Amino acid sequence: MASKVGKVISLSRRSFLKFVGGASLVGVTLNLSGCGEPITPDKAIGGNGWMPTQYNAPGNWPTSVRGRVPIDPENPAIVRDDQKCILCGQCIEVCEKIQSVFGNYELPIKKEFVCVNCGQCIQWCPSGAISERDDVNKVFKALADPNVTVVVQTAPATRIGLGEEFGMPVGTNVQGKQVAALRKLGFDVVFDTNFTADLTIMEEGTELVKRVTGELHHPIPQMTSCCPGWVKFVEYFYPELIPNLSSAKSPQQMEGALIKTYFAEKKEVDPKKIFSVSIMPCTAKKFECQRPEMNSASKELNDSNVSPDVDVVLTTRELARMIKRTGIDFSSLPEEEYDKLMGTGTGAGVIFGTTGGVMEAAVRSAYYLITGQQPPVALWNLTPVRGMQGVKEAAVNIPGVGDIKVAVISGLANARKVMDQMKAGNAPWAFMEIMACPGGCEYGGGQPRASSPPSDEDRNRRAASLYNIDAKAKLRNSHDNPEIKQIYADFLTAPMSEKAEELLHTHYVSRADDFIPKKSEENKLY
Amino acid sequence: MAKGVLVDIPKCIGCESCSVACKLWNELEWDEQEKNKTAIDRAKEPNNGLWPEEWTSINRYDPEKDGESVARYVKAQCMHCEDPACVSSCFSKAFQKLPEGPVIYDQSLCVGCRYCMMACPFDVLRYEWKKAIPGVRKCQMCATRVANNQETACTSVCPTGAIIFGDRDQLLAEAKKRIKENGYVDRVFGEKEAGGTSWLYISDTPFEQMRFRTDVTTKPLPSYTEGYMKATPFVGVGWAAILAGLYVFNNKGKEPLD
Repeated sequence: MASKVGKVISLSRRSFLKFVGGASLVGVTLNLSGCGEPITPDKAIGGNGWMPTQYNAPGNWPTSVRGRVPIDPENPAIVRDDQKCILCGQCIEVCEKIQSVFGNYELPIKKEFVCVNCGQCIQWCPSGAISERDDVNKVFKALADPNVTVVVQTAPATRIGLGEEFGMPVGTNVQGKQVAALRKLGFDVVFDTNFTADLTIMEEGTELVKRVTGELHHPIPQMTSCCPGWVKFVEYFYPELIPNLSSAKSPQQMEGALIKTYFAEKKEVDPKKIFSVSIMPCTAKKFECQRPEMNSASKELNDSNVSPDVDVVLTTRELARMIKRTGIDFSSLPEEEYDKLMGTGTGAGVIFGTTGGVMEAAVRSAYYLITGQQPPVALWNLTPVRGMQGVKEAAVNIPGVGDIKVAVISGLANARKVMDQMKAGNAPWAFMEIMACPGGCEYGGGQPRASSPPSDEDRNRRAASLYNIDAKAKLRNSHDNPEIKQIYADFLTAPMSEKAEELLHTHYVSRADDFIPKKSEENKLY
Repeated sequence: MAKGVLVDIPKCIGCESCSVACKLWNELEWDEQEKNKTAIDRAKEPNNGLWPEEWTSINRYDPEKDGESVARYVKAQCMHCEDPACVSSCFSKAFQKLPEGPVIYDQSLCVGCRYCMMACPFDVLRYEWKKAIPGVRKCQMCATRVANNQETACTSVCPTGAIIFGDRDQLLAEAKKRIKENGYVDRVFGEKEAGGTSWLYISDTPFEQMRFRTDVTTKPLPSYTEGYMKATPFVGVGWAAILAGLYVFNNKGKEPLD
C-alpha cells in the first residue's frame, strides 16, 4: 500500500485524520477541564463610545445634571430625534428650574407626560435634537389645492424673529418682507394677529372693568389667558385659580374664529373651504389649536364640516423653512402690507410680543374704558413693566378709580412663586400678565435660536425692536384701531356681547387628575 | 463585591435616557425603523425591543392598579444571572461571568453556534443575521466602566433614580425596604429567578402584566445539566482510551499499514 509516487508526499489521508482527530480531542478535553485564559472586561463587545464627562466620575459622586425630559411621542408640539441627543441635561434644567414643570409631580406617572408645550427645551437643546413637530407639508398641501382659500395670520413676535433665519441681526423688523414672502408662497389672504391682539384688549379690558366694578362675579386679580403654555400650567398645577383667568381667548384663536365667520361672511367664502394657518413664535399654540373648545366657527355656523378655527400652526422656524425650500430670496423681497379687514394692528397690539406688552396695552385701553378719555402720554412708556426681570409690579393712577396695581410675570418658575403667594392670600393686584417663556413670546419655543442657552441680551434686542415699532406706530391704543371699531359695528355689536362671548371667549379644564400632586419640597424626585 | 442594578419601575418616567446612553457608550448603530418606534410599539412586539444594536429598550405596558389601568415603563436588557446559562452552554468559552457582576461576551472566541440563545431563560440574546461574520449581542453591563469603579452608562443618566447602581446585597436590602414602605408587589424580581440575577426589579403593579417571565425557575439553570455534563471530559478521555486500546489490540502482530 505504499505511495506509488514515492517519497514526495509522506502524509497519508489516514495519518492526517488521525492527527486532526487527536488534536481536537486534546483541545476539547483541555477546554472542558477549564484551561485557557479568562476573558477580561476589555474583551467584551461595546464600551468604546463616548459619554458626556458629567457621567464619567468614578464612585458614586452625584451628578447634578443628568438625563433628559420625557417627551410623549404623541406630543402635538414637540418632537425629539434620539440620534442627535447627547444627554447633556439642558432640557431638564430649563424644564425644572426655569419652567418648574419637570419634577413638580409625584411618581409614578398616571397616563400622560406632564408638558405645557412651551418649547423652551428646544431653545436650550445644544444639539438640535428637540424641535417643533413639523407641519410644513400640511400647509404646502393646502396651498397646492386650488379649491381651498388659505388664510394666514402672523403673530406680533414673528416679524422681529424671522429675519435672523436669513442672517439678519437679532431683532430686525421684517414685517413687510414677511407679508411679501407669505404672498409669494401662495397664501391667499394675509392677516395680522396684531388685530386680534387689539381685540383681546377690548374683550379682556372690558372683562377686567366688569370684574372690578362687581358686574361680573369673578375673582380679582384677573390673569391674562393669551399664553397657551401658561393656561395649561394653571390647568395642571393651580386649577383652583382657573376662575382668575380671563375667559378671553388668545389672539390666535380669536383671529381663527373670526376668519371662518366674519371674514367668510364679508368676503362670501365658504367656511368649509377655508384653511386657516397661523405663524407663531410658539410651540404651545400647536397644542392650543387642537383643543376641543377651539371650534367656535363650527359651533356658531352649526356645521360640523367646518374644521377647527385654526387648522395648522407653524412656528417662525417652520415658516423660514418653507421660504428656504421654495427658494425665495427673502432679503431682496419688497415690503408689502397686510390685507384689510383683519390686518391692521396698533402699537399696543405689537408689544404683545414681549413681556409686559399685554399689560401696557391693557392699561392704555383700560384708562379709556373707565374714563372715556384718551390715556396720557406717560402710559405710552410704562417703564416699570418693561425689561427682563421675572416679576415686575406697577401702580397706575386712573382718575375715578385711583391706583390700580398690576403685576407682570414671565417664566413659569416665577409664576409658580407668585401663584403660591396668591393662594396664601397675598395678591394686591387687579390685573396680572403672565407669559410662560422668559421674556415673553419674542423668545418663545418657536422662535429662531439666537443663542443657546437663550440670553437676556438677545431678548432685550428683540424687545427693543418691538417697542420701536410701537413708538413709531400711528395708532398706539387698541381702541383706536379702525378695524376694531368696524368689527364691533358690523359684526360683534359690543365687547362681551352674546356673539363676542361665543366666538371670542372660552373655558378651561382642570388637568389636576393627570398626575399625582407633589407632596412636599423634601419629597423631590431625586 | 458583586455589583447590581435596582429598577424601581414606578419611578420610571419613560424619558429613554438610558437607551440613548447605551447607544452612545457602546457605539451602537441607529436603525431608522427602530428609532421611530415608540415604547408602546415595542411592547407589542415579541422581542421586547431588543435587537443586535438595541441592547436595552423601554417598553410601555398598561397594567392594572387598584382596578385602574395605569402606564408603566419597563426597561429590558440582559439580567446578568448570578450563574448564567449562556456561560455554561458556551463550549468555546466566549461568555464569562465577572466577579463584579457583568456577564460579558468576547466575539473573537465565538463560533456562532447560538447555544447561548437557546439557553437564555429571559430571551435577551440577539444574533447578527445581517452580517457576514456574525456575533451574538447583548448588554455587557458596561464591564469596563464597572471595572473602573464607574457606574453603568444607563444608570448614570437616569434623571429620577428609577435605575440605581450599587452592591447587589445593598440593593436587595433597599428593594425590600421600598416594597414595605411603598406597598409594592412583594417580590424582588431577580432575587431568586434563574438562581438570582444582578439586575433586580420592583414594582407596584403585577409583574405578569408587564411581560416578565414570572414562571422562570429559581434554580440556577446550569445546575440542571451540571451533574452529567461534569462527566463529559471523563467520558471523552475514557472513550479515547478504549478506542486506542482496541486499536492496539487489533493491530497486534500485524505489519504497519504504511
